[in-house]
Amino acid sequence: MNELEHVVVSKENVIDKEQLIQELMNENGDAVLHLVFTYVKNQTIAEDLTQEIFIKCYEKLEQFNHQSSIKTWLYRVASNHCKDYLKSWHYRKLLLNEKILNYIPSKAKDVEVEVIAKSEEASLTNAVMELPIQFREVVILHYYEELHLNEISAITSVNVNTLKTRLKRAREILKAYMVEEV
Amino acid sequence: MNDPFLNLKKSMKKNVFKDLSFTDERKTRVNEAIQAKRSSSSLHSFSEETILSILKSLQIEAKHGFEISTQLFQKEEQSFLHNEGQLYTLLHFLENKEVLVSMWREDKKYYALTAKGRKYLAADTKKGYAKQPFLLKDLLEEASL
Repeated sequence: MNELEHVVVSKENVIDKEQLIQELMNENGDAVLHLVFTYVKNQTIAEDLTQEIFIKCYEKLEQFNHQSSIKTWLYRVASNHCKDYLKSWHYRKLLLNEKILNYIPSKAKDVEVEVIAKSEEASLTNAVMELPIQFREVVILHYYEELHLNEISAITSVNVNTLKTRLKRAREILKAYMVEEV
Repeated sequence: MNDPFLNLKKSMKKNVFKDLSFTDERKTRVNEAIQAKRSSSSLHSFSEETILSILKSLQIEAKHGFEISTQLFQKEEQSFLHNEGQLYTLLHFLENKEVLVSMWREDKKYYALTAKGRKYLAADTKKGYAKQPFLLKDLLEEASL
């Protein structure tokens, strides 16, 4: 990561910029994809969005002020991009279709749910993926990405106390859920 | 204080992200998009010679973009030096104009001359006729619009 931090981005140096994006993708491609997946819960969409995120980084590289680490900045771009997507008409339409499909009873679905709920571990991840987005986001960034609250604040533009409250609330929701499971 | 999320990282890795990886193919697509953006933002008008050397390089067989560009460099055609993205923009344009046709082989995009493309080539070798339908000059004017 360190060598990335030292790359000075100059407007003339297009080749450098491309190289930097290439390195960013090699170093953080999977991490960004995983983060995006926790927002959109669909592999293909997550891959598409991750692609768009790196293109966006290329376009906005000049706006990266070296006050935060480049990783924090990358996550910020990613998180904003995902939220924009979740607000988009395209996504809402998809959601509606899913809701309609859920009204149609299917045996396969029940089996799937059963398999997923088999282990406690899986039910933890399941529960997290079911959390409302503002809670899911902070839980993933804090427990999966192991970021400090002030880093998360830099990524999401949410202040630290609000994040603390959300984490607390998320724990409560999860405990209630786990009790229900048992 | 038992924290319900303590094992989250481990179990996410095992359950959710197991087969989730940002593939090289996806990275390549990002690079292609970056190239396209770069060339469209600095699109200058190409010279007749440049188009001609592209058409000539495809006279014998179909080639993919990288082959075309290396051949152009060998022929001292420097328009695309450090700016290979523009070559792809131009190839794309020629494809739209049905001067070239493209096909995919083993993950590479190959370009070949169409009948129309050959007419442009032929027209260029017998200059001097005033009224000719296939003049590179006219193509160029469209390209720089």
